[in-house]
Amino acid sequence: MFFDANCQVGLPMNGGAATATIPALLAEMDRNGVDRALVRHINIDPDGAVVTNEELAVMLANEDPAARLCGVWCILPEQCHELPPPDEFFAAMKRQRIGALTLSPGAHRWVPSRLCIGKLMDAAAERRVPVILPNYSSRWSDLYQFMADFPRNTCILANTGRWGADRAIRPLLEHYEHFHVELSTYWVPEGIKDLAELYGPERLLYGSGFPELNHGSTMLSIRHANIADAWSRLIAGGNLARLLEGAQLS
Amino acid sequence: MSRTQALWEQPGSVAEQFWRHGRADFPIYDMHGHMGAHNAIYFARCEAPAMDAHLARIGVRRLVFSHHSALMGSMRNAAVHRIVEGCSERLRMYVAINPHYPEFIKEDLALFDKWPFAIGLKMLSAYHQVAVTDRRYEYALKFASERHLPVLNHTWGGVPYCGGPQLLELSQRYPNVIFFHGHSIFGDWDWSRRCIVEAPGNCYLELTAVPGLRGIIERLVRDVGSERIIYGTDLPWFDEYQVTGGVISADIGDDDIKNILYRNVERVLGTDW
Ligand SMILES: [Zn+2]
Repeated sequence: MFFDANCQVGLPMNGGAATATIPALLAEMDRNGVDRALVRHINIDPDGAVVTNEELAVMLANEDPAARLCGVWCILPEQCHELPPPDEFFAAMKRQRIGALTLSPGAHRWVPSRLCIGKLMDAAAERRVPVILPNYSSRWSDLYQFMADFPRNTCILANTGRWGADRAIRPLLEHYEHFHVELSTYWVPEGIKDLAELYGPERLLYGSGFPELNHGSTMLSIRHANIADAWSRLIAGGNLARLLEGAQLS
Repeated sequence: MSRTQALWEQPGSVAEQFWRHGRADFPIYDMHGHMGAHNAIYFARCEAPAMDAHLARIGVRRLVFSHHSALMGSMRNAAVHRIVEGCSERLRMYVAINPHYPEFIKEDLALFDKWPFAIGLKMLSAYHQVAVTDRRYEYALKFASERHLPVLNHTWGGVPYCGGPQLLELSQRYPNVIFFHGHSIFGDWDWSRRCIVEAPGNCYLELTAVPGLRGIIERLVRDVGSERIIYGTDLPWFDEYQVTGGVISADIGDDDIKNILYRNVERVLGTDW
């Protein structure tokens, strides 16, 4: 069972060759034999959290009748009250098939500190709601600060960057037990085996990087990572299923 | 839960072979590798024995590499050849050409005929900040032209040292050199096409860093034909399974996949090297 931890869907603001509709994603999943996927809205950065959270829920309801997809909602600072308070927010997530959180403080111009999102992140840690952290591969010190502020949260780094990031990610894996790494751009030779042996296979997750990246590359590198089959199964999908099922949204 | 038969399950397909067995019943030629430590990246497996073990698992018959320290440091090509002599089943080398040291280029190429495991030249013009068309490469390129050798260039779309216009000009200037365009003029895909169709039949797109991108291999195959595309990984940068996975899961035919993974190289260079 492959469960993709890193997909984006929607019509990209600036067009481009990448077709990222939900039907296109489902077709690509079928072609490759991927069962389920955790999806973020592709326009979180340019169109904002409030609009894209709502739009993603509608897309999931209308275009994924078999419920193979699970959504990710983007958070904002609590003080501007753009999103409902935590309990209400989590209950809405459950209703609308949203299983994880993400944030984009750079594009949305705020500081991802305890001051801004402490209450929400503490509630998420309590309820074990996973937080997807995309695009930190050129901002490692920001990621280090974030993990220092929120060590109890279940975090998944998406997109390590394709140029070997071991010097940046290994200290985080060593230090923070709830820190996980998604593998769509982790292209290090035999690297999956090394990370699994050092930090445990529970810390690694299959991701495609759709629509920019394809599904098959990382599938084959997990399948032949030279590790026990039980470990491959965890990385392919077991870990993400466990993390999402462990979240208590209501 | 999948609705259709996944590409990995298509009976008799290349993808099925790799999925089940981790290798195919044909060899792979990896035409773009490196060796040695790197300043900015931790490479756990960057020396010959560990690289060789990784290559053996997936069935790579040949990896042709240039050593990082010969490209970016003071290591000379003779020392690289000695490494290959000690680990020669799968490994072959490109002679690293540093345009800032013309006397080294002459000295090293004077030894070329004594190096059975050196099969061509490697140019890294973006890093050396000398355009591929610069006179400082002339001696090496004339040498390659006389011997009809392959020259692997690091290429990248939009980079003035090694972008599409520079590589097209170079390939027209040296029609007897076999040019492998490393990274396929990455990101400037219309120039990838032009560098093949407007060249005098002497150029190939080498795929390093492309497999994994969605839809690009399909586009290159449509634009230039799979007969003009060869496989590479930058090993120890990228994993052979990740790269092969990107090629074999692309929406192209099994003949295209075989052309890319081995047939083109065997057609151009033969098998006895
Ligand atoms: Zn290279």
